[in-house]
Amino acid sequence: MLMRRLLDLLLLVGVLALGANAAQAHPHVWITAASELIYAPDGSVTGVRHAWTFDDMFSTYALQGIETRTKGVYSREELSSLAQTNVESLKEFAYFTFAKADGRKEKFQEPVDYFLEYKDDALTLHFTLPLKTPVKPRQLALEVFDPTYFIDFKLADKDPVRLVGAPAACEMKFQRPNDGTANAQRLGEQNFMSGDNSNYGAMFANKITVDCP
Amino acid sequence: MSLKPGFARALTITVAAAAVVLVLDGVIHLLMAQTPFGGPRPGAAEPQVGGIVGWLLSKQSEFYREMSATIRAAKSDGSAVWTLLAISFAYGIFHAAGPGHGKAVISSYLVANQETARRGIVLSFASALMQSLVAVVIVGICAWLLNATAKTMCGAEKAIEIASYGLIAAFGARLVWTKGGGFMRALQASPPVPALALAAHHDQAGPGHDHDHHGHQHRHDDHGHDHDHVDDEHCGHSHGPVPSELAGPGGWRRGLSAIFAVGVRPCSGAILVLVFALAQGMFWAGIAATFVMGLGTAITVATIAVIAVSAKDLARRLSAGREGGGALIMRGVEFGAAGLVLLFGVGLLFGYIAAERVTCL
Repeated sequence: MLMRRLLDLLLLVGVLALGANAAQAHPHVWITAASELIYAPDGSVTGVRHAWTFDDMFSTYALQGIETRTKGVYSREELSSLAQTNVESLKEFAYFTFAKADGRKEKFQEPVDYFLEYKDDALTLHFTLPLKTPVKPRQLALEVFDPTYFIDFKLADKDPVRLVGAPAACEMKFQRPNDGTANAQRLGEQNFMSGDNSNYGAMFANKITVDCP
Repeated sequence: MSLKPGFARALTITVAAAAVVLVLDGVIHLLMAQTPFGGPRPGAAEPQVGGIVGWLLSKQSEFYREMSATIRAAKSDGSAVWTLLAISFAYGIFHAAGPGHGKAVISSYLVANQETARRGIVLSFASALMQSLVAVVIVGICAWLLNATAKTMCGAEKAIEIASYGLIAAFGARLVWTKGGGFMRALQASPPVPALALAAHHDQAGPGHDHDHHGHQHRHDDHGHDHDHVDDEHCGHSHGPVPSELAGPGGWRRGLSAIFAVGVRPCSGAILVLVFALAQGMFWAGIAATFVMGLGTAITVATIAVIAVSAKDLARRLSAGREGGGALIMRGVEFGAAGLVLLFGVGLLFGYIAAERVTCL
């Protein structure tokens, strides 16, 4: 009885502290992404090409301290060191790009062909992620999201996902995180209290599937 | 005695607090809908997740996203600064209800350390003020004075973050060390209770035993006033903390280390806003926004801290009727809370608790 009460009290303190703590991050960075799945002539997927446009607050932040000849104008060369920093930093986060071929996790190599563009107060990072080994699955699933939800990924309204050189029979499906179909992982207060927020951002994942018969 | 009334009371307080936040939000919306705060507000984004938590999340995102546009607007229209301050204040309130920001650490510290609600409020405001100051100093030195890159700044932020988590862990370890002693002594001093029979030592049989009494005296000599205190409660004379524990030597100093451990870590949001404001030539507006944001944060953290302290007072009153057991429960709660501070520190340090880690891109 005594122990139970003690435990109850500890629980109360825990819920107060942890429960509130579990109501995790809200995004600080917003990315509007456009992604391309690249296919080889034999119909296998070789990689993903991303174009990520940052929100204006983060774009301004990222440009802090970057030397430029003309104020407010940044050439691709002037931005090259920043692009280098970006792709190097992204490695720690697995490029926020998660691929599965027939349910098996696929790995990516280091990005290639990366560069930054500055237009309309916004930075766009272009980069290509080659798969470690090209795959030719019946179903390819690709998710783009930040598990910690520091970054909010939204796929572009126009042409969010394109298949480049895919066999004609392949069918692409794209699911946005908040279109109501993502109910399976819809969040209740319950999930929050469980304290497991390690994959919190998965609720905000953009899901792409490509079925090739 | 059952704990049910305690939970009911705590629940009532929580609901009341939530209601206050709701009302506040309503007021802010009313204010913002009127002209002194600029034009019509853009349509709210559809909440992506359900429930109160989802609603909180969507609200703070909304406020945060409005900041950049408002700073831009403030360049040509001075009145937009007021909108900026209103948004920052609201953002601070909502944001602190979410992750990190030391609310968990501060609450646990208060519970562990017999602190008063008033001290809780002071600690919350002081640490929020320090958080704002650190953000301004980082951006002031790195971006404004040195024109360093975002990479350098973010690196500094990350280093400070790790230092903060390390300090919280060290602070928690110290609390566990002190509170663990009190708990162990309370365990030994309390009369055997069925549930505790396994933990109780055999030579602790019962009061009035010559041998046991001797043991008591001996420990008394060894441990000084702490043991006296536990003894007092054991005898049912006093259940409150002795004054020396409230503001005794080192009391405020320990409070200061709590402020420092929590407050040294700036909010990434504030840093982004400050750098953005600096780039727009509106650094002063960014600084004002940061401090107002801190004020909002302090209000939420203080509210939660007061709830935690009240919950503990309630527990103390509930357990006061019991002889011996009361002291044991209270020491146990303090020990547990001290353990939580340590867990937070370690969890944050090693990334088990992903409290909005600095993400450098």
